[in-house]
Amino acid sequence: MKKLAFFLVILAVLFLTACGGGSGSGETADGKIELTYINGFTGGDGDFMKKITNGFNESQDKYVIKESQEKDHYTKFKTGNYDLVIIHTDLLETYKQDGMIQDISSVMETAGISPDDFHDKAKEQVTFDDGVFAVPLDIHPMTMFYNKKLAPEAPQNYADFASLTQTLQQQDPNLFATGVPSAGLGEWFIMTVAAQNGINLVEDNYMNFAQEELADALMIYNDMIFKDKISPEGLGLDGEFQAFMKQVDEGGSAVQTATALTGPWYYQAVKEAYGDDLGIASVPVIGEQPGVYGAGHTLALPSSVTDEERIAGIAEFLKYMYTPENLINWADSGQAPTHMPTMELVESDAAKYPLSAQNIKQFDSFEGAPKLYQYREQVRYVVENVYPKVVGEANISKETLMSELEKATEQAKQVAETAPQ
Amino acid sequence: MRISKTWSFILFLPFLICFVLFLVVPFAYGLYISFHQWSIFGGNGGFVGFDNYVSILTPGNVYSNAFYNGLKNTLIFVAISVIPLVVISLALALVIDSIPDKLKVFYRTIFFISYAVSVTAVSAIFKWLFTGNGGYVNNVMNTFGLGALNWLNDQPLAWIAILIATVWWTIGFNMILFINALDEVDRNLYEAASLDGANWWQRFSNITFPSIKGVFVFLTIITVIASFNLYGQTLLITAGGPSQSTTSLIMVIQQIVFNQNNLGMASAMSMLMGLVMVLIVAAQYLYTLRKD
Repeated sequence: MKKLAFFLVILAVLFLTACGGGSGSGETADGKIELTYINGFTGGDGDFMKKITNGFNESQDKYVIKESQEKDHYTKFKTGNYDLVIIHTDLLETYKQDGMIQDISSVMETAGISPDDFHDKAKEQVTFDDGVFAVPLDIHPMTMFYNKKLAPEAPQNYADFASLTQTLQQQDPNLFATGVPSAGLGEWFIMTVAAQNGINLVEDNYMNFAQEELADALMIYNDMIFKDKISPEGLGLDGEFQAFMKQVDEGGSAVQTATALTGPWYYQAVKEAYGDDLGIASVPVIGEQPGVYGAGHTLALPSSVTDEERIAGIAEFLKYMYTPENLINWADSGQAPTHMPTMELVESDAAKYPLSAQNIKQFDSFEGAPKLYQYREQVRYVVENVYPKVVGEANISKETLMSELEKATEQAKQVAETAPQ
Repeated sequence: MRISKTWSFILFLPFLICFVLFLVVPFAYGLYISFHQWSIFGGNGGFVGFDNYVSILTPGNVYSNAFYNGLKNTLIFVAISVIPLVVISLALALVIDSIPDKLKVFYRTIFFISYAVSVTAVSAIFKWLFTGNGGYVNNVMNTFGLGALNWLNDQPLAWIAILIATVWWTIGFNMILFINALDEVDRNLYEAASLDGANWWQRFSNITFPSIKGVFVFLTIITVIASFNLYGQTLLITAGGPSQSTTSLIMVIQQIVFNQNNLGMASAMSMLMGLVMVLIVAAQYLYTLRKD
């Protein structure tokens, strides 16, 4: 029986040890205060963020940043314990209402940063009635990459696209001006055409898609595919990027496009594929006015962080990061910082930071996500059900489209109603 | 060798602890959460009784739409996948059982090896194979003068692509269990049947199948359960599309937990999903029992 008791004690110790875990004391062996910072920079940009955090760590004898770059960092953030988190601009309202992040104004003040240090579009995205809930980092708008061998000049508008596709089709029937995908960047395509047609989709606290103007604007994509053959049919998930990267073979079934309206995160891949033949430009005007949609990264302070010393450490890190000489590393990754002194540094050496400098030019016509609770869930139906029909059905009628947009609005309304009271 | 009750208990204890910690406790806790308004970040927002279940089961709201769509898609996959997964693995096992012993190990390993590949790698391979624009399958079809198909963006092609990926990936597991069952069949029965002039089908239906029926029923049940848990393939190959037609119930639950932070609603959905699975498996089991 003694053996059994001993065995049970060992098991209990093992179990309790395993349950202990936690984040430890928050101090390193040499007595520095350890601050945990989580982000989702698992692509090529991750190394450049590491440069910034490593630079900070080397400059410090009091604090040390422990950076975690995770593919699904939001899940880790929600289930873990972190001092600083990267949040996309379209999620800020949701995270704020759910009480996951807190007003960061006082930390910014300690760090010597003001919301006025940022481009107006970025400042507007983080400023709420009850405070500033994040520090803007960058804006990544939809970007146009073009293959100079197929398109010597970047198309500026719909007519340019139509003319380019005619020229390309004479060379090879599998060559097209650009690609409109059915999934992946659907939200960006919808919101860009809405911005270019001056359509306000926000009503009270929800997205109102049931607007004739939006139906007409979305039909531009249908025309691009089925009427004017600017884009090939049936491009699937991330099809705009894949078609841009393809090389047509004589007699083959693959289609290739001369331009790609896509996310700037594909820069390394397209640069590797096209080298000096790669061009970068603003998104062409296919509607009535310039306008481009995209997203942005911000740094937010989790609500759980209340310790004064840790907050002082975060302020110290922000002070270091938002020094143009340090933040320029972020532009080096291809991202476009919204911190105006850093923007000036980028613009002064545009040849060194081609993507960043180009996207900074799009800031003035940039339209970010509206500040709505569960915005991503509000747009889910229109992105996953309505948009694929627009780009997939040649003969979709306006009545059918309006009926679908009404369903999408109803879904958005219901999602908005789930907001905490 | 007899072992004492104490040692029996000690040897059983690790299983009991794991069973309680990783099954009983999460199940009971999930059930408890499903009766609460529970945010993944904010925690317990209060007891709401059956409200979560009522929202899910009452048609017309955002939760029920997502639940029924996910359930419908999952049931479609269960319906189309269980027969191929069981029948093809049985056919492979029969083929391997009939080849010389020296080759058995080689082919058994070849067919089983795909099971060891992660779902991420499998999905990447099949996404590349079935991509509409210049994918391998379309290139082959083009070589034979057949038109290219939009495998991942049109139905039922998207389901076919996911089914082929799933069969390739998981067939080895079922096959191995069938091979083990076939090894147990008394060879004298086959000799006797051959002397009586029985053909292949008569030997299979009168000797082989009755001998491995227990394994067949077990595999059918676990294949139904595995197909219900469809997640990785549809997430990574089709991203739930086209038009949410491959969004499985597990994907819906995952979205409600981690996108909407609504752990209460997601727990209620999980409970309902578990209930549907139990009902289907129980019906299957009772049907088999009655036939026996």
